[in-house]
Amino acid sequence: MRRIEFWKQQLIGFLFHAESDDWLALLRFGLGFQVVLYCLSVGKDWTDLLAGNGGLISRNLSETILALESPLIPRVGWIVAIGSRFGLSEENILSIVWYCLFAAGCFLLLGLFSRAAAIATWFLHLAAVKSADLLSYGMDNLTTIGLFYVMLSPLPDRFSLDWIWRKSRPQDGQQLGFWRRVLQIHLCFIYFFGGIAKATGPGWWDGSNLWRVLIRPPFNLIDPHTLLPWKFVFPAVGISIIVLEIAYPVFIWPRQTRTLWLVLICAMHLGIALTMGMYLFGLVMLILNLAAFGPGVLWHQRKALADASFAGSMDRSPNN
Amino acid sequence: MHRKNFYLAFFAVHFFFVGVVSCRELFWFLSQSKTIFPPGFKSYSTRAENVGAGILLQNPGTPAVLREGVTTYVHLAGIESGYGFFAPNVPGTCKLVFELHYPDGRTESRVPEVSTNASGLRVSTLLDKIGRPQYDSLREVIVKMLASAVWRKHSDVTMIRAVFGVVMLPTADQFEHGVRESNEFLYSYDFAFQSAGPKNPNP
Repeated sequence: MRRIEFWKQQLIGFLFHAESDDWLALLRFGLGFQVVLYCLSVGKDWTDLLAGNGGLISRNLSETILALESPLIPRVGWIVAIGSRFGLSEENILSIVWYCLFAAGCFLLLGLFSRAAAIATWFLHLAAVKSADLLSYGMDNLTTIGLFYVMLSPLPDRFSLDWIWRKSRPQDGQQLGFWRRVLQIHLCFIYFFGGIAKATGPGWWDGSNLWRVLIRPPFNLIDPHTLLPWKFVFPAVGISIIVLEIAYPVFIWPRQTRTLWLVLICAMHLGIALTMGMYLFGLVMLILNLAAFGPGVLWHQRKALADASFAGSMDRSPNN
Repeated sequence: MHRKNFYLAFFAVHFFFVGVVSCRELFWFLSQSKTIFPPGFKSYSTRAENVGAGILLQNPGTPAVLREGVTTYVHLAGIESGYGFFAPNVPGTCKLVFELHYPDGRTESRVPEVSTNASGLRVSTLLDKIGRPQYDSLREVIVKMLASAVWRKHSDVTMIRAVFGVVMLPTADQFEHGVRESNEFLYSYDFAFQSAGPKNPNP
């Protein structure tokens, strides 16, 4: 019993360490930027991607499949139904949704009405992604994960316009520490399982998967003739990716290895973005990693904020 | 302290779901794909995946309120799928080509059209999804929708033949010896159109 209590206190100490809001500022700004880029990247095809009828594929199909899973998952169809009661056409409503998501992303980026902007961005982005679920991929999920954590974190941060203009100060060092830990641990899950899944495929050990991924349309930005002289390094790079991902939860925590691992993982995502054209995917992974582990490692982190609501000590973790 | 306990409970439940969803997807990969494990391992993986589905309350016998509650939460948090990007293997890319037939006998080829590379990546994702066996029942419906989108831009077309295939990629050694990517035919659908819209498809 005493042992259980000991481990519970250890866990509490680990999860609720007082923390500065540098990481949250980076996450808020980065995800705001990400959502703005997402809006711009699909803006021209927005109506085609989300139209109930007359688009690329019907939104109704995705939403029907979604409704079979659960009727409570947000979707654009809800907004269209509300808008149509006011006599608005579907096309106009979809345009309004796009402008609202773009504006919410800008507000989040600037930190103006941070909490409301975070909730609106999460909701509208999730609704758009779920209503076009057949057209969505991993980047959308990772953006949702980030927005979910931003929405629940103690906003605003000290870099936001809310802090500067509106003098809004609902800060809580231990809550900031808790949500940063949640983000850090989630990244450990992402890389560990991603690495294990890759390790089970023979093609990641002999480098053939790396070759395939680089010549596979639509990721084939580099001419295969350019890649060919480098084929002897593919096995080593493939194995390095497996090691980098599986060992992430081990080497990202100790101060001695954290900088190296963070730099390597960021380099990997930068490489994916530049060689495969997955710019938004690369960007969201860079944002999540830099927010989770960057402050205090890649740049100086400011002092932790005073505890406002949690009872207990203000221990600063040696390994924030 | 009450608040801390609440956060601790959230933490435990949240990462329990993240862990189970990730394990479930991993076992699904192992049961469906060519892996480094012997073929006999697939049956264990299938069983483990079913256990994962049961833990996530996704089995048919689970009360709908509980099942939908868990499903809703994992979707809201963005944790409904695992993280096996390009794993365990990298499949060939699925490809869809439309053969447009005009009343005067002319034919021309088109692919699904979008304006930006980012949207193109999404269409490519869609095609890869509908190439999988679990989308067998939906494939024709989706291809018909994509064909209709093409027809709206070429409304004088009387018939569209949709050819769905997969791009087979050469290995580095094969490429070095002159082998290039090739297309493997999978399915074909014929859609007849009138001026008012598509008639019944004739796959």
